[in-house]
Amino acid sequence: MHKEGHAETKSGDDSQLVAKAISRDPEAFGRLYDMYVDRVYRHVYYRVGNVADAEDLTQQVFLKAWQAIDRYKKMASPFLAWLMTISHNLVVDFYRTRKERTYLEAEVMVADSASSPERIAEARFEQQRLRRAILQLRGDEQQVVLLRFIEGFQFKEIASLLNKSEGATRVILHRSLVKLRHILEREKD
Amino acid sequence: MSKKIEDILAQCIEDVKAGRSSIRDCLDKYPSMRKQLEPLLRIALEIQEPPDIKPSPAFKVRARVQLMEQIHAGQSVTKWPWSRYINQMKPILYRKRFSMIATIVAVVLAVSALGGGAAYASQGSLPGDVLYPVKLGTEQARLVVTPSDLSKAELHLTFANRRVEEMVALAEEGQSEKVNMAVNGYDRAIGMAIGKIDEARGKGLDAANISELVAVATSNHLSVLDRVMDIMTIVPVPEEAIDAISHATEVSINGYKNALIGLAGENPVRAMEINLAAMEGRLNRARVKAENNDIEAMEAALAQFQALNEFGEEISAIARRLGKDTVALDELLAKATAIHLDILAEVYEKVLEQAREAIEKAIAASGLGPPDDVGPPDDVGPPDDVGPPGDVGPPDDAGPPEELPIPGGDGFRR
Repeated sequence: MHKEGHAETKSGDDSQLVAKAISRDPEAFGRLYDMYVDRVYRHVYYRVGNVADAEDLTQQVFLKAWQAIDRYKKMASPFLAWLMTISHNLVVDFYRTRKERTYLEAEVMVADSASSPERIAEARFEQQRLRRAILQLRGDEQQVVLLRFIEGFQFKEIASLLNKSEGATRVILHRSLVKLRHILEREKD
Repeated sequence: MSKKIEDILAQCIEDVKAGRSSIRDCLDKYPSMRKQLEPLLRIALEIQEPPDIKPSPAFKVRARVQLMEQIHAGQSVTKWPWSRYINQMKPILYRKRFSMIATIVAVVLAVSALGGGAAYASQGSLPGDVLYPVKLGTEQARLVVTPSDLSKAELHLTFANRRVEEMVALAEEGQSEKVNMAVNGYDRAIGMAIGKIDEARGKGLDAANISELVAVATSNHLSVLDRVMDIMTIVPVPEEAIDAISHATEVSINGYKNALIGLAGENPVRAMEINLAAMEGRLNRARVKAENNDIEAMEAALAQFQALNEFGEEISAIARRLGKDTVALDELLAKATAIHLDILAEVYEKVLEQAREAIEKAIAASGLGPPDDVGPPDDVGPPDDVGPPGDVGPPDDAGPPEELPIPGGDGFRR
């Protein structure tokens, strides 16, 4: 499991590869794919909840990233965070084109560190409720919550990605949590 | 000026997550905001990272190969800026490799003469088509402008994939007599991929990744070539076409072994995983052939299974020689053996008495001991230290929906 601030340490490792990839070096980009395909897949899987769509979208993320890599040049955020933004846009697009929302029901897996089967089932249920609520948030709200809590990026990095100030990013997070609270309470009723 | 709630909330989340304070500490610090803060803080802290869900290794390799193919296809020679193109050619000029320059010039001239769309249109061509030489020419040009040995190896692998796709298309379209050209191209591409990997390794570069790609791809090729052979046995085809596909199968196996030996020196566990999955692929083919009562093909698949089993011992030997930890290898082997024995037992049940000898040999090769020890299928169970078949899962690092990567999976389905 990754740790807080994981993205920062990673970005230090990948800077040379990223520089080469920007100068259109396929080999370097292939190495970046190797480094990040698991994380991108995990992120997409969390949002779409099934393997076939997660695989399809993950492939698209890397192809889009290669096509648009020139645009990454000016960004202060880690490369992985940039990939996450591409993932976000593709997932939003993906849902725009389909009406059914069965993904909300997709099972969320939980780490089975819980003490008993009952506890695992309970944790799974809780995470499922939360996931369903998070996926009902608006685009930027959803992105801030996922990048901060699921992917472990810092406010500074998220702010840079969203092209907003850190303060504005905190405001979005606060608003998102208030909304999440309402959604969860509504569900309980 | 008092702090805003969004800043306090963000700070509290950071502090609690980092273990610097508890929820209570935080709420005590801001008593006036306690009512608003507490529920939000609890929700925030309840959101957990999902467990380490990972894509299947088979998907990762397939997606990577496709990505590289799309990247290379996007770098068509007609679209490249001339300044960059000339820069790429400088070292070639310096080394006076005129044949390569001639290739580029020929391709560029051909593309200009035929129009910009010709290179694109040629990509779907097959041996014998008018545009096929243009397709091969553009491939050569891409090789010339690809800088490193590892990139070149990957590109050769892409071309090998294409040659196999061409063999399938030719067989499906009833043009098997033209398959020889694709097989020769395949032979050359696999040889070049392995050669470039060796060169890179000789220069001290890490070639584990590309070795893995070649091993998985050639293992996929083996399954696809089986399909080509199956098609050819239904429709009468010239003897030369059958020989050509047999040759392609040998090339595939050699390429596979070469790549895996290289990988075994760097990552023996991964090499073993790939080999075990390939063995499972052979067993699955044997099962299908047994169901169809095609005993000859079943025996051939079982013979390949045994050969791969012996090759697995080579991988273990390499790992031991290099002083690598072999515990993980042994665990993998135990799990895979249980799966293999289940499949063998199924095959055993399906065939007539006279074909059972081949299966007994395969069971013996799986490490259960001499064939005499093996009774009818009901007695064929996993070794004692391995759980029931339902417990035999994927390697620990594999995510949902997981299984051991099956190279024969869906490589080049059309």
